[in-house]
Amino acid sequence: MRLAYWMYEGTAHHGVGRVMNSMRNVHAVFHAPQGDDYVTTIFTMLERTPSFPAMTTSVVSGTDLARGTIRLPETLRQVEEKLHPELIVVVASCSTILLQENLEVTAASANLDADVLVYDANPYRMQENGAAEGLFSELVRRYAAPHPLTERPSVNIIGPASLGFHVRHDLTSLRRMLGTLGVQVNVVAPWGASVSDLRHLPAAWLNIAPYRELGAGAADYLEGQFGTPALREAPIGVQPTLRWLNTLVDTLNEIGARRNGPVVRMPPLTAFSLDGMSAPSAVPWFARTADMDSYTGKSAFIFGDATHTVGMTKFLHDELGMPIAGAGTYLLREAGWVREQLRGYVTDAQFLVTDEFQTTAARIAELRPELICGTQMERHTARKHELNCMVIAPPTHIENHLLSYRPFLGFDGADVIADEVYTTCTLGMEKHLIDLFGDAGLEHDDTVAVEHGDVVTKTVEVSAVVNVASAEVAASEAVTVSPGQSVIWSADAEAMLKKIPFFVRGKARGNVEKYAREHGIMLITADVLLTAKESIGA
Amino acid sequence: MSPKVQFIREDGLYHSFCGLVSVGWLYQKIKDSFFLILGTHTCAHLLQNTLGVMIFARPRFAVSLLEEGDLSASQPDISGQIAEIKREHNPSVIFLLSSCTPEVMKVEFEGLAHTLSTPELPVLFVPASGLDFTFAQSEDSVLQALLPFCPVAPPEDKRVVFLGSVNDAVAEDFVMEAARLGIPVAGFLPAPHFSELPPIGPGTIIAPLQPFLPKVASQLRNDRNCTILSSLFPFGPDGCRAFWEDLAAEFGIKVDLAEREAAAWDRIASHTELLRGKKIFFASDLLMELPLARFLRACGAEIVECSTPAINRRFHARELERLEGVRLVEQANFDRQLRDIAIHRPDLIISNMITTNPLVGHGLVAKWGTEFAFMPIHGWAGVNVLATTFTKAMRRHATLDPLGLDPVWTTGMMPSAPGDVIPLTQ
Repeated sequence: MRLAYWMYEGTAHHGVGRVMNSMRNVHAVFHAPQGDDYVTTIFTMLERTPSFPAMTTSVVSGTDLARGTIRLPETLRQVEEKLHPELIVVVASCSTILLQENLEVTAASANLDADVLVYDANPYRMQENGAAEGLFSELVRRYAAPHPLTERPSVNIIGPASLGFHVRHDLTSLRRMLGTLGVQVNVVAPWGASVSDLRHLPAAWLNIAPYRELGAGAADYLEGQFGTPALREAPIGVQPTLRWLNTLVDTLNEIGARRNGPVVRMPPLTAFSLDGMSAPSAVPWFARTADMDSYTGKSAFIFGDATHTVGMTKFLHDELGMPIAGAGTYLLREAGWVREQLRGYVTDAQFLVTDEFQTTAARIAELRPELICGTQMERHTARKHELNCMVIAPPTHIENHLLSYRPFLGFDGADVIADEVYTTCTLGMEKHLIDLFGDAGLEHDDTVAVEHGDVVTKTVEVSAVVNVASAEVAASEAVTVSPGQSVIWSADAEAMLKKIPFFVRGKARGNVEKYAREHGIMLITADVLLTAKESIGA
Repeated sequence: MSPKVQFIREDGLYHSFCGLVSVGWLYQKIKDSFFLILGTHTCAHLLQNTLGVMIFARPRFAVSLLEEGDLSASQPDISGQIAEIKREHNPSVIFLLSSCTPEVMKVEFEGLAHTLSTPELPVLFVPASGLDFTFAQSEDSVLQALLPFCPVAPPEDKRVVFLGSVNDAVAEDFVMEAARLGIPVAGFLPAPHFSELPPIGPGTIIAPLQPFLPKVASQLRNDRNCTILSSLFPFGPDGCRAFWEDLAAEFGIKVDLAEREAAAWDRIASHTELLRGKKIFFASDLLMELPLARFLRACGAEIVECSTPAINRRFHARELERLEGVRLVEQANFDRQLRDIAIHRPDLIISNMITTNPLVGHGLVAKWGTEFAFMPIHGWAGVNVLATTFTKAMRRHATLDPLGLDPVWTTGMMPSAPGDVIPLTQ
């Protein structure tokens, strides 16, 4: 047992909900106490669903347990009567699984027309990703049927699911590139797929399965059972996208050659741009501009799921030239794969595997990198330490669910990520001017700085999923407190510190305190500050 | 005494939160407390998603996480976590909340809390599991756990204790208002600190501020032989007038707040004009529905249905009187409610966080009730906030252009329903 404040991954039943809420005309029924229905909120609020997510909680109450009542068959009948889903997936909760009921028998007693699958998602062994991946693989095994390949070259896009990180945008980016190549999309699953779409999966020539977390198992099964090759890389960044496109074209043409099918030709790269006549991505030129000189030496720390941690680390290092201070993942079962992928990017000491946020927070506090790429959790840690952070992986916050086109995959994604890095990091040339001439009227008090980087504080009433604590957040974070402060600042030193631009002040304070501690100084005077500045070169 | 108001009990809320969510405001209210939930990953995931990101400023609540290996132990050992909490947070009291899994495991919570409790740091058991408790009901459990720590007041100590958590500013308003009327105040349950619990004895008048506390009210009556004020809850001009007049009467003070009430109605006239004649449907789960519906009815609105997780004939007696003739439903079936909503097409639905966006997606105006639990809507000072909270969504929808009525604008927003919205009428 341990004390938990925050979980990176959601629960198993949330993973089931994500798959079911992605698909058409299917339904999830949770055999659970009423409170377990909270997962529905995550869909209705974060994805702002205009209709009811395809999930129902079949309530188990204390009275039911005492009386031996089981409402599941009645709930199943109500769901069928109202929605007529083709498939209903039943799962137990962390509490009801201990009752050791035979849900197969109970569900069968409802005598439904729908296909009913009692999915054995043990919440003590599975979390969100494991349950989603396991269920989706099981559905593919259950429904995928032999099918002749399509006439023209086609692919399935496997893995996008409800509440996946920027998946809607990624899907658009992939579709755009496939459209440019003239490759058909046979099925996208689970996002928007019906049971009959799953039956047609084997008609595609190739499976695109870019997400390590979801779809990899289904791609393996389709390859083993139907011989459909899979493209498993995530095209994050310009170079990986080019390689991905070339592999895609080559693989399709190999298959085409065997069946005398049409040849897929790689068009001029400008064809991939939004206007069809420019560079497909502005990143290669952007990275070489004088502006980016001020990024030289800025270090990054990347922490998230497997797919985005690997993609982002390589992108920042290979395409923006940033040194990597460290990287890691909270997906313990993917740690080996991530480690392998990042060999040459980070040392073993720089690699972090943990599902406890406090450990990640401590690493960040120790490294104080110029850029943190993390989850919503790291964003908070960063804010506490006045560091820059962009969110690159779930769990997310409502402000990560924006309306505009913001893919991470493909050429379009490379531009989006580079923009996000650029606007997240502190200024370039302007920073030098401020350093030289003082604050140049840009002085903000810390409250403003917090609000500036944090839309939430203004939207207390709007972002309910995350709103309750936000007023408190603004208040608690407005106070600048140095963590573990044991040294004292004199008034003149404080005044001097105030002259340092606000966005680097936290770092300067930390450095000076570290210097003071190392030199056994308890009181930081203006003189100590000056000496420290010289010594550190800050 | 009161007429036998009829209400319907259905087969349960399909969309609701469990009792653990009250931690979200109680840990802020009781500033030297720590809330420890003996639970699972599900409980932790629930809290972080419904209460927001909780790691700011070291929240004083956490989950003692039951993992697979812990399931076989009949009595889990959480002494290590208690020590950690003591070390890291140094609280004056720890509330140990039950959740569904340990309830199913039949963990003996009373005994567990008792063995962990010390005179310096009491560990108090709070039943809160989703098997039995909805939303704010667990505050009732927390207050019951606190009651033994309230000093016993002598019979001659005739003062009021306000019952239910309100924020400190609202509490201040109530103290000042009581002073104006000459009502002596002993304090609040809960108090901002564990050491400040009010003395309660046979002379104490308990004035309930929140409608979800019937059990602690009845326990107060039994254990301390005090008087529980039976009045309206202090929401809206009508509620405030009744509350203060009745409370003053308990102290032999006769006041007529008719003018005060009229002035308050006057101040919210622009809201009541909008609400008059409007059809309003309650499909929420926050347990404040009865007084809110009573206020809206006094505004001239038509309450199509008022559902709430639990109705208590004694604790809610005065509210129920005012709601005579309104369709009242306990533990409503949400599917049935959806069918009725499709028939009645209410002008405003008080929903919850789970159902609001989908209801709006069906072309309705919905307002999540959860907000009422976190807004300062109590007392005279809360009247305007209360009225505004109801009309805000209606006004906003009225000012928006009519494009929202065309389903094209929600097309593709949801992967499971691309291209169309499931119609309400089938």
